[in-house]
Amino acid sequence: MSAQKDCEFLVRRARELVSDDPCAAKAWLITARTLYPADFNIQYEMYSIERNAERTASAGRLLYDMFINFPDQPTVWREISVITAALRGDSQDKHAQFLRGLFETLPGRVQCEMLLKATEQCFNTLEKAEMLLLLLKRFPESVVQHGVNLGETLLEAEVSENVETPVNCFRKLFVCDVLPLVINNMDMRLPASLMQKYMLKAAEFYIGYVTRGPSPDVQIQGSQEAGSLKSPNMSRGSQRYVIDGLSEKSSVVAEPWERLLDILTVVGARCEWQGDKGQRTYVDMLLRVKELCRYLPSLEGETRSRCCSQVVICAALVLFRSAFLYVSSVQPALFQAVNALSSGPWILVEDLSSVYNDLELERGAVKHAHKKRKLADGREKTMSSDDEEGLGKGRGRHIIVTKTEMPSWSETLESFRTARESWDLLHSHDGLETEFKKICASWKTDSWLWFRIFLTDMIIYQGQYRKALSSLHQMAAVLQPQPGQQSPSGQVSLEQHRALIQQASCHYALGEYRLACEKLLDVVGGLSPPNQEPSKTPEDQGRVKAKTRKGNDLRLLPCTSKAVLPFGLQLMLACFKLRAFTDNRDDLSLGHVVVLLQQDWPHGEMLFLKAMDKICQQGGLQYENFFNYVTNIDMLEEFAYLRTPEGGRIQLELLPNQGMLIKNPSPALGVELNTLLLQGVQAMDRHHTVTRGITKGVKEDFRLAMERYSGHRFNAAGLTS
Amino acid sequence: MTIEMELLSVMKESERIEWSRLSAISLSKIKHLKVPMGDIRQSLLPRDVLSAAKELLYHLDIYICNMVQSGRQPPQVDSKTVELVEEFILHTPKDRNTPGRRMSALQELQLLEIMCSCFQEQSRDTVRQLMFSALFSLQGNQADESRMALLGKLVSMAVAVGRIPILECAATWLQRSHRLYCIRLAQVLVDDYCSMVPGSVPTLQNIHSASPRFCCQFITAVTTLYDLTSEELTPPLELLQMIVSWIQDDPRLVLITFLNTPLSGNQPISSLDVTPLGGLVRWCVKAPLTYRGDKKQVLTNGSTDNEQETGPLFSALHLSVLQVLMLLPNILNEKGLFGRLALLQLESLAALTSDLSRLLDQADKHTHTSSSDTLLLSQLTLDRLAQALQVALANGALLCSREDLRAICSRLPHNNLLQLVLSGPVMYYNNIHTPPLAFSPHAAHSPIASHPTHPPHTPHTPLTTHPSSHPPYPGQPFITGMPFPFRPSH
Repeated sequence: MSAQKDCEFLVRRARELVSDDPCAAKAWLITARTLYPADFNIQYEMYSIERNAERTASAGRLLYDMFINFPDQPTVWREISVITAALRGDSQDKHAQFLRGLFETLPGRVQCEMLLKATEQCFNTLEKAEMLLLLLKRFPESVVQHGVNLGETLLEAEVSENVETPVNCFRKLFVCDVLPLVINNMDMRLPASLMQKYMLKAAEFYIGYVTRGPSPDVQIQGSQEAGSLKSPNMSRGSQRYVIDGLSEKSSVVAEPWERLLDILTVVGARCEWQGDKGQRTYVDMLLRVKELCRYLPSLEGETRSRCCSQVVICAALVLFRSAFLYVSSVQPALFQAVNALSSGPWILVEDLSSVYNDLELERGAVKHAHKKRKLADGREKTMSSDDEEGLGKGRGRHIIVTKTEMPSWSETLESFRTARESWDLLHSHDGLETEFKKICASWKTDSWLWFRIFLTDMIIYQGQYRKALSSLHQMAAVLQPQPGQQSPSGQVSLEQHRALIQQASCHYALGEYRLACEKLLDVVGGLSPPNQEPSKTPEDQGRVKAKTRKGNDLRLLPCTSKAVLPFGLQLMLACFKLRAFTDNRDDLSLGHVVVLLQQDWPHGEMLFLKAMDKICQQGGLQYENFFNYVTNIDMLEEFAYLRTPEGGRIQLELLPNQGMLIKNPSPALGVELNTLLLQGVQAMDRHHTVTRGITKGVKEDFRLAMERYSGHRFNAAGLTS
Repeated sequence: MTIEMELLSVMKESERIEWSRLSAISLSKIKHLKVPMGDIRQSLLPRDVLSAAKELLYHLDIYICNMVQSGRQPPQVDSKTVELVEEFILHTPKDRNTPGRRMSALQELQLLEIMCSCFQEQSRDTVRQLMFSALFSLQGNQADESRMALLGKLVSMAVAVGRIPILECAATWLQRSHRLYCIRLAQVLVDDYCSMVPGSVPTLQNIHSASPRFCCQFITAVTTLYDLTSEELTPPLELLQMIVSWIQDDPRLVLITFLNTPLSGNQPISSLDVTPLGGLVRWCVKAPLTYRGDKKQVLTNGSTDNEQETGPLFSALHLSVLQVLMLLPNILNEKGLFGRLALLQLESLAALTSDLSRLLDQADKHTHTSSSDTLLLSQLTLDRLAQALQVALANGALLCSREDLRAICSRLPHNNLLQLVLSGPVMYYNNIHTPPLAFSPHAAHSPIASHPTHPPHTPHTPLTTHPSSHPPYPGQPFITGMPFPFRPSH
């Protein structure tokens, strides 16, 4: 006999009817509501019927009634939270769309109130922020009141939740959603310092986002069997990326560099930056701040500091973007966002394509380097100061790229150049440098591997090899193979040697040939056999260029076995060549040169003839490894000729134990080279045992050896006298 | 007299606007105005029936234009003119000795065509209304039969060819004429469009968009005509479907006449209700019992109307009626009529309930062992009655006390909802969800215009024409302290 019982009766009747005769059910509820207008359950039942039938307009009106009349009902709040969740989410299913449509039917004032109240009831920072963001997006006038607070809340949440990376859900919301609303709201005047702080937060996020590495769990998934598709891990594909706390879709940031530029443009305009009429591109921006830099010394006070900020922020962004573009092309596997399959890693090394050149052509350079080496032998410690001025003729150095292997070579080199220019600009004034270092410190750029790679390449380019070496030592440590980091092609291991190859190149450039070769031998041992057909075409191209240049060009070398092995051999050749052709007699070096010249024969023919001349001049050659390593028929013929009367009956001691002359295999290099060549030859499946009958006559043995090597051709040539 | 007064007030608006155009258009006709209508008869007599009728229409047009232009108050058609119409258009015999002239069917068709274009071309609403009134206002004489015959044909034709001005005039006519004649006009349309020519229903369906006023009056007439007392007085299925779809599409349709009528209370007593709500309530409430009767007849005469088809229609219609009732508080408040004008009359509801108790009695007797089906349908009837009474009461469409309701429902069988409605809500509301509040705690700040909760309390000063002065809902608490003996047993 109570009102509550009446209401329960009415609602029950409606429920009984709703499936068979929804009109009758509604008639019951209409009646019930006129009897008990203050009863919540009746109205909720009315709403449920409309909501379940997904009738947007009528459900919206009833929800509105409930919101106004029963603001404290938990059921209403449950309903509102379901709706706001649909608003925040990106689900395209029909019901979510209905819920969003339902919200749209409500008057703006109520939407605003509903979102605010829903926000108040929300205790999760992220959800709360998303809710408030809905409000800000819909009601721009609320940005003034809530915008900055929301932004600060998100930035505080980053700190309080101990997130490790700037690419986190709070920052994403702040940078991509809140910040544009705040800075574009003309009713707000934010202090320039705050704007710049926000600008840097945005930049840190976008750079972090673009340069994010492949996430480890994705790699693990890749190696798993594809059988367990049901497992939660497998639902994410290998290319997907999710920011913790966000959905996959909202983790996607489209065109990050462009968005960053947009923000920079607005901030620039609002901070009244100089000559800032809409930054079209990053390159334009660099040109503008370069210009601006010239006036910097004449400025004072606040104008100067504002100008300083502008230059530093703009130049830093150009620097990081260009450096990223360069590194993403040189070492794409570092980044998830870059298609690693497009092109393998590349190594910036000294260009050695002129190694086969006639000595005459490069005499100057060789002599110079030679002297350097001699100096270096004596006082290696002092070289660091030397290399800055001596070898640092960096400006205008040429970088050779095999264009067919790197289609985007011009963009890559352009990015490298732009990044270097930005770097130089940032270090052109103390004031700028201080500001820039502050940014670097707060972003912890020291820990950015990719940026270190750029910096190393940059100092190599500048000729600061000593510095480069110390940087490379650190990187080599970082790049030690780590468990779980494995790629099917074994490329990762090659990449790990990347730093070693660069070190070898640097040592070579410094004239430290022994160290150069040591590093090389560390690498080459792990290489797979080179392809049998040498890559002639690219080398030819390289050489044509090299001919016109002095010997200190750089080269971007593909980090593949196919390219690395020839480079290693060339580097050794370059080292030995200098030793072999000094005025002193160094038969071992000369012999090694001959062995090494077989690689890529007949490119080094001129050099080989020089070596033959040298042998003639000094009247003989003692090189007991000769038959182990010299297999080139042209060379063998040439040596055979030297022994003839026409050739001058040159004294050749080329067999092991031929004489006791090899007493002093002094340079440790020889042993190492041996190892190298042995491995190389083994790999080429041309291994021959070194052991020979030592009792036989030398002459006879020589002849037999020749015959064995060349079969009938030697007989036909009438080698035997 | 009163008709002309009404018309005048209605037409004043349009008159002012039309005035400038009127003078220009009528300039050529002004020379004829010197001739009094009475003198025209001589010129009409020699003519054949059709051209005499045409001529008379022509003169009538000029005459009325002139009358309107001269600003005579009130503009009224004199009896001489009406006589001329009866003689030359309706062809009523002048006296018993001279038989009236007759028109052939073809001539009649031509005349109807002329009339159609005459109304179509006349741009002034006032003139059209006066013309229509001169032609079709019932005079209480023997000519009324001819009048009704011609009117039926004209309106039917106007529906067919979409002559909106004629439908508008007919809507006014349906407001002013005796309900019995209104019913006859509705019957003609139903016969023409629902019974005689199969597939012509869509044509009639169009009147909804052509003239909502006419449509509304048509619904009122039809619900008055078909009172579900017998099989003949049960609406054809097509008609029912059409009406349900009209109201579902636009519930306000049933209020159009009410909304457009300047003041109520001085309506001719015998005219149709100002809204079809009463008739619709009767339909919905009685339908379960009536169509149950039909079911039996399905076996005998193969009728296709049965519960299966009409059940959902009436259910939807009933909901629409309740929804329309919920629109009323705002409308009534805007007009200052809340609590002063009853759109549902207690008397007609009393008639309905006594009708019901008789029907339910019969049903009980006919089926000696009252099947569960019969019981369900009886309960459905009573549920709908209870719902209509409660919602009408709550929204100011019905001005009476619950005691009055108990009186008119006293002979009805038991129904839980009806008992609840008759006893009224429990005043001490102890729902856990909300604090104990009196009625309508939210009405005052209810933001939606048509929010169907209770209207604010208005001073109840019933119109003088309204006989009962019951304090309307929600003013009265039901007999505090004395429980009603028939509380529903949930």
